[in-house]
Amino acid sequence: MPGSVLENLSGKKLAVLVVLFLICQIICFLIGGLIAPKPSSTDTILATKCLDKTNNTAEWFYIRGENKCSTMNINVFSYEKYERIANQIVFSFQMPTPRDNIILDYSRWQQNLIGILQLDISYHPENEMKNRTVLTIDAKLGYRNQGDKDDDWKYYASSVEQRNLDCILEHKKDGYPYNCSFIPLFELGSLHHDFYLLNIRLPVDNEKGMNLELGKVDDMWLVAINQTGGFTKVWMSLKSIFFPFIVGILIWFWKRVHGLQRKPLLLEYMLLFLGTALTFLNLPLELLTLFYELPFMLLLADIRQGIFYAALLSFWLIFAAEHLMVRETQENQFKTYWKHLSGVAIGCIALFIFDLCERGVQLRNPFYSIWVTDIGTKIAMGFLIVGGISVGVYFLVLCWLIWQVFCNMRAKRANLPVMSQARRLHYSGIIYRFNFLMLTTLICAALTLIAFTLGQVSEGQWKWDEHQYLEYTSAFFTGVYGMWNIYIFALIILYAPSHKQWPSQIGILFFIY
Amino acid sequence: MQGVAHGAALAISECQYQFRHRRWNCSTMHDTSVFGPLNLIGSRETAFTHAIASAGVAHSIARSCRDGQLSSCSCSRASRPRDLHAEWIWGGCGDNLEYGYKFTQGFVDVREREIRYQRGSREQGRTLMNLHNNEAGRRAVIKMSRVTCKCHGVSGSCSLITCWQQLPTFREIGDYIRDKYDGASEVKVNKRGRLQIRDPRFNLPSANDLIYIDDSPNYCVQNISIGSLGTQGRICNRTSHGMDGCNLMCCGRGYNTQKVNIKERCECKFHWCCYVKCKICTQTVDIHSCK
Repeated sequence: MPGSVLENLSGKKLAVLVVLFLICQIICFLIGGLIAPKPSSTDTILATKCLDKTNNTAEWFYIRGENKCSTMNINVFSYEKYERIANQIVFSFQMPTPRDNIILDYSRWQQNLIGILQLDISYHPENEMKNRTVLTIDAKLGYRNQGDKDDDWKYYASSVEQRNLDCILEHKKDGYPYNCSFIPLFELGSLHHDFYLLNIRLPVDNEKGMNLELGKVDDMWLVAINQTGGFTKVWMSLKSIFFPFIVGILIWFWKRVHGLQRKPLLLEYMLLFLGTALTFLNLPLELLTLFYELPFMLLLADIRQGIFYAALLSFWLIFAAEHLMVRETQENQFKTYWKHLSGVAIGCIALFIFDLCERGVQLRNPFYSIWVTDIGTKIAMGFLIVGGISVGVYFLVLCWLIWQVFCNMRAKRANLPVMSQARRLHYSGIIYRFNFLMLTTLICAALTLIAFTLGQVSEGQWKWDEHQYLEYTSAFFTGVYGMWNIYIFALIILYAPSHKQWPSQIGILFFIY
Repeated sequence: MQGVAHGAALAISECQYQFRHRRWNCSTMHDTSVFGPLNLIGSRETAFTHAIASAGVAHSIARSCRDGQLSSCSCSRASRPRDLHAEWIWGGCGDNLEYGYKFTQGFVDVREREIRYQRGSREQGRTLMNLHNNEAGRRAVIKMSRVTCKCHGVSGSCSLITCWQQLPTFREIGDYIRDKYDGASEVKVNKRGRLQIRDPRFNLPSANDLIYIDDSPNYCVQNISIGSLGTQGRICNRTSHGMDGCNLMCCGRGYNTQKVNIKERCECKFHWCCYVKCKICTQTVDIHSCK
């Protein structure tokens, strides 16, 4: 990659460019921090216990509106006979809950919905629960839209699921609550309808041994998590702004490469691939969910992100290998790197299969989770471990390559004064290019890591501060997203072939004439 | 309003549970003031009742917001947005726990702010004490609530993490405020109309701690005018050395012992949801009650 823009740029121009990029970066961070709300919001809903008089599983039980269900109190016990069968109790959640006397409905801007169950179980000496209980949940999800009748609930999905429930209790006193783990229940990839209704039963079956070990369930809570519309809007705007810029710079770059006499180099192909992957990531496809129901959007988002990571990791590896300065002429073939890149490929494939197993199956059954069965957990862990190992191997290979580059660089630097001018310029160009990329990459990676850790810490501590001006989590997302966009934008610009002729070549020409 | 009534009832029953083994057993009067003449003196017990009542209301309001029956629950964190629907889509709703807290602040505290007393007077001290203990009760609800988080980023990674408050059960809140009752600090009102700690050797109480102005009256003997029912006739435990032991409970007056045959449910097996299968056992037990 001789004669890139970076080498021929004067220090002043480079400084101006870097400052411009920094300003863009700060703007991205501030957009997230000042304009966008937090990325997701939660709604905690307490179940209303409805009585199913006819034991009719096809019926919908809802709490608000005409013909709402008749509620019951499950704290009343019978000592004589089975008065109420557990199967007739329906825990009913109607989402979203009304506020300020207004019936709220979900907006398609809110993108997705995750449901998590929490059980309040109190301790009774006659019914001690084990530390781990298998819970059988019969769940049914329905939806309704604005303008529909109150009882016009339509079927969305249903499933009988088994989940492990881990409950611990420190002080075993009558009536004290167990501290139970929460149960991830469902994940909807699209929030297309206005209202949702979840009916849950905990069926008891003596023959199948269903829910026999269950303690006294006093209450059931559902935590509904959805993306906030504001965050989606800001995020989509950000993507729509980056999209044309990256496309434009890609076209410019490719025109430049084609304008040269020689064939494009491998690194130039890699830059093109990286830019295309980023363009695919930037494409605001999510806007389609405002019009169509597309439950695969979550899976698609994962795949797009995966392709981008794969492209970025491959680029770093090939970039380091191409700057080894062992061979005089650069190997211009992708094939030679298959060994180096196999780590990336294996890792990506493992994570892709894992994602298909989890989110792919969720397209058919939103209540599905790979983590609930022991075999599923082992398979999932297997894929994740394979993914983790290959990422580890990748970084080892990358570090080894970079170390080699530095070793060669030191050797070459010592020899620089005795080289011919053309060779000197060639090597010093390589060293400069490599150091520049190393530095920016390290800064970007470090910033991402720091921001990520800070985000984890700050989210774990609940804030009661009313006047919180900076929404940190959103700032992290927009900031990091903007940063990698700017990073790749800068790479494409700076590593594009330069039109300027090498001073040495000019010198040679001068000498001839 | 139903939430408030439910909260008050919750508070009373929890108070009676917490103090079932003490000389003062949180007995309520059958009149409008609920806790009766107890409120006339600023004792430790008054501090407890104020804290638990305000905690009860905050807890109950937050809870009834969550089951979707109370539709007036506020959505936003700050002032009410004019266009609620747009606001909700944009940023979601604040936590109901916070609404419960704010509601109690407006509802329970307003009684104390009705009359303005002279600065530095006893009555003003009482007002400050009540306000402080109300706040301590509300804070107990928040303090005991657990923060739970869920990761839901790319492929379930933790790049996106969402946290929410899990409402504690009222028993946990009751235990917590009882601990604060045991460690309550005595304060007095100074000339500038501020509360200050009576014994400067002790640590200053925080907003989570209970404070009181007057010493507790003697709850051994009946004195309706100060809200003490006395311990006569209370059941005590002969073998215990704690407050429920006959020695302490009966204030040294001795106790009567009675042999009683009782029929009890035993060897119970619980079936979800609402059925308990038990045997009936007959037992002869000694019951001790204070003279």
